[in-house]
Amino acid sequence: MSKILVADDSRVMRQIVVRTLRQAGYAGHDIIEAENGRDALDKTHSEHPDLILSDWNMPEMNGIDCLAALRASGNTTPFGFVTSEGSDDMRARADAAGALFLIAKPFTPETFAESLAGVL
Amino acid sequence: MTVMDAANLEVTDLQAIAEQVWTSYLGDTEPLLPSFGPLDDAFAQGMVWSAAVSVHGGWLGTVTVEVASTVAEQLTRTMLALEATALTDADIADAVGELVNMIGGNVKSLMPGPSTLTLPVVAAGRTASPSAAAELARFDATYAGRPVRVTVRADHR
Repeated sequence: MSKILVADDSRVMRQIVVRTLRQAGYAGHDIIEAENGRDALDKTHSEHPDLILSDWNMPEMNGIDCLAALRASGNTTPFGFVTSEGSDDMRARADAAGALFLIAKPFTPETFAESLAGVL
Repeated sequence: MTVMDAANLEVTDLQAIAEQVWTSYLGDTEPLLPSFGPLDDAFAQGMVWSAAVSVHGGWLGTVTVEVASTVAEQLTRTMLALEATALTDADIADAVGELVNMIGGNVKSLMPGPSTLTLPVVAAGRTASPSAAAELARFDATYAGRPVRVTVRADHR
């Protein structure tokens, strides 16, 4: 069983992401939640998740700064964005920062299954 | 969809974005129907929730969503997978804020960039726009007979 960290400032969206993970065939994994990038950073260091699914636009610390802080500290936990912003520019920035994928909202369980294949 | 000049944002693009978001999270059993009637009267008949996000950068503007409170409640129950549990205002604000975040993020992708999207601001009540904001596109619809409005305004300041 893997541990997945879901970071989003919206409780509604965290719930939808967790539900979609289940629908995509990732039921039974240990899910932990973070309310912003700072919380995700702290919980990554304390909980050691196997995958981080993070929103981009969050208060306190956004997703891209969280990813940059993780990589700067030597942490290589697989990281994917789940964000409303799926433009080529955002995808390029995510890729350059070391994200494995960017899932644009709205998404489907099929999108999750395609993006997570081979990651967990 | 392709990136286009801000002045050319079509209502059909806004409709496509709204319908895609709607169908993804609310299913398609109760469709979001385009409305060509006087929605202001429908909004005046009951409480309304509004949410807005702004885009700053290559394009300056605001995306707002206004929904009847019954729509906001149904949206929140569906997104949170809640049935009988009483909803709090925080739950509704969260769901309506996420709705405008998704629609705003997709609108931003169609506009000249690079730019940044603000966090959503949500309120109980109608939105009012400053005089420097010009309406670019508006999608009026009904959901289960109750009004839904998505508006994109360019800020010319």
